[in-house]
Amino acid sequence: MISLIGVTKTYPVGKGATVTAAHGIELQVERGEYLVITGRSGAGKTTLLNLVAGLTRPTSGQVLWDGTDLWDLADPQRSLLRNRRVGFIFQFPSLLPSLSVLENVVLPTAFGPAHGKPGARERADELLHLVGLVDKRAAYPRQLSAGQQQRAVIARSLVNRPQVLLADEPTSDLDEQTEMEIIDLFARIHATMDLTILMVTHAPRLVTRSARSIEMADGVIVA
Amino acid sequence: MTLLQLAWKNVVGSAFRSWIVFLCVLVVTALLFSTVLVIRGAQDSLRLVQQRLGADVVVVPEGTETQVETALLMGQPVAVWMPRENLDRIAGIPGVAIVTPQLYLASLANAPCCSAEMFLMAFDPQTDFTITPWLSQNLGHELGLGEAIGGSDVFVPYGEENIRIYGYEIDLSGNLERTGTGLDTALFFTFETAREVAQVSRTKAVRPLEIPSDSISAALARVVPGADPRLVALQIVHDVPGVAAIPSSGLFQTFHRQISGLLRSVLAILGITSVLSLVLVGLVFSMAANERRRETGVMRALGATHGAVLRSLLAEAIILAFGGGITGILLAALAIYLFRNLIVLSLGLSFLFPSFPSLVALGGGGLVLALAGVTLAVLPPALRTCRQDPAVAMRE
Repeated sequence: MISLIGVTKTYPVGKGATVTAAHGIELQVERGEYLVITGRSGAGKTTLLNLVAGLTRPTSGQVLWDGTDLWDLADPQRSLLRNRRVGFIFQFPSLLPSLSVLENVVLPTAFGPAHGKPGARERADELLHLVGLVDKRAAYPRQLSAGQQQRAVIARSLVNRPQVLLADEPTSDLDEQTEMEIIDLFARIHATMDLTILMVTHAPRLVTRSARSIEMADGVIVA
Repeated sequence: MTLLQLAWKNVVGSAFRSWIVFLCVLVVTALLFSTVLVIRGAQDSLRLVQQRLGADVVVVPEGTETQVETALLMGQPVAVWMPRENLDRIAGIPGVAIVTPQLYLASLANAPCCSAEMFLMAFDPQTDFTITPWLSQNLGHELGLGEAIGGSDVFVPYGEENIRIYGYEIDLSGNLERTGTGLDTALFFTFETAREVAQVSRTKAVRPLEIPSDSISAALARVVPGADPRLVALQIVHDVPGVAAIPSSGLFQTFHRQISGLLRSVLAILGITSVLSLVLVGLVFSMAANERRRETGVMRALGATHGAVLRSLLAEAIILAFGGGITGILLAALAIYLFRNLIVLSLGLSFLFPSFPSLVALGGGGLVLALAGVTLAVLPPALRTCRQDPAVAMRE
């Protein structure tokens, strides 16, 4: 489903210097797979997810989705692919502060071809129920705890019924109990929604039994 | 949720930034609109007086041109004289089709014999072509002895039945439409009534009204079709001693120049203010865009295209420009309407508040300018924001 072939990504860091965040990555992800990417800070895990999603152009190599190179697509097609087929969960608070929880959850529907498509609010309510936030639908992000915000982000990531969920350190700011609840939620979503999940974490203990795991260090897959 | 709703939410959510942009647009639009409104009102007023005078050439005693123009525009009473025989001389000049006399008088200020200080104008209904057309529209009959018609601002004082001029009771038969000039405070009557007023004033007025015999204040001439009013005016000056002849195109030139000068200086100041305000708007949006880099990155990750991000940012700017622009225009129009008399006094210009369609057209123009200006100011930071690499934006 997703293939990375010899993908390298370097970032300029000023005065002609560059840093290599990913180097010669070879990765194959099958449909329905639960892949956990582990590694220390700066290992290149987030860059890998951004490359998979077409959020950053590889310096060299190819990122293929069902055999199509993402960077052969124009921006609207690449954006449409992200909108329709990918759900994102970030490691930082990513809810828009000016929108309520419900509005945040339906936000991705504003960017698709049918803006504000019918049924989006009902779908959002369904997902808020799934993540246990239905009573917070009118609240604003500042009124939620970090765990509740991350649950709302998970609901948002699912609103367009994606095929792939990309989760970047989704539990990094959470206490241990909330962390386990979120991981359980991921496991449930994976089991019930037939999703492909790529989750980045720096905590190997969060790798569930059903997941394949790879480890990154210094921009390369080491295990 | 649509992009417009998202933009509106961001406008409401970023109150401080929104207020700064809103106020900048409001102030610039209000200043620009009020300036255009005053200039337009002054120009309309001059044009209307020129139309109403209906003369191709105005002949006045030499050296009194500015006084007469000021009287007509600002309502400052004037008393100037030239021999009545000038009428026949002017009428005999080739190219002159018709000529009519006018007599300019002033009532007394703060005198019990006069209701108020007013600009008085006597005319000859037999030859008149400037005032009679308005009178027939307003009265339906020719003005008789002891009757007068007033400008739009002339009224019978409270508790009285007539207007007193030098102790003479004049019946106010009607009012003319507003011109925004001195004609609005003038009283118009016939030469016969003027002579009656002078007669009565000898016994009833604090100071009698003196009208030199066989004198007039101005002669208004129309030229035959095809004749050039400027050449006819030159001929009049050549043939009739002691007069100045002003072709209609040269009438109120002092005021036209005054308006142009005012327009130039105000527009220069406004230009600088507008540019500074738009730079400020651009900077505020630039700062906001920087603060929201991660938010923009998230939007891109959720599937927003470059275009969607750009439209969303521009929609925020347009909402604020529209709100600020409309409010500025309405406030400026209200202020100019309420203080129009003060404007006339302080600027020394005649002023006619534009008609509703003109007002809507000017307001629409002002709004389009505000929208275009803000869009231009916001476009560079918006383009920069939507073109950035989402991964880099989210990392910062």
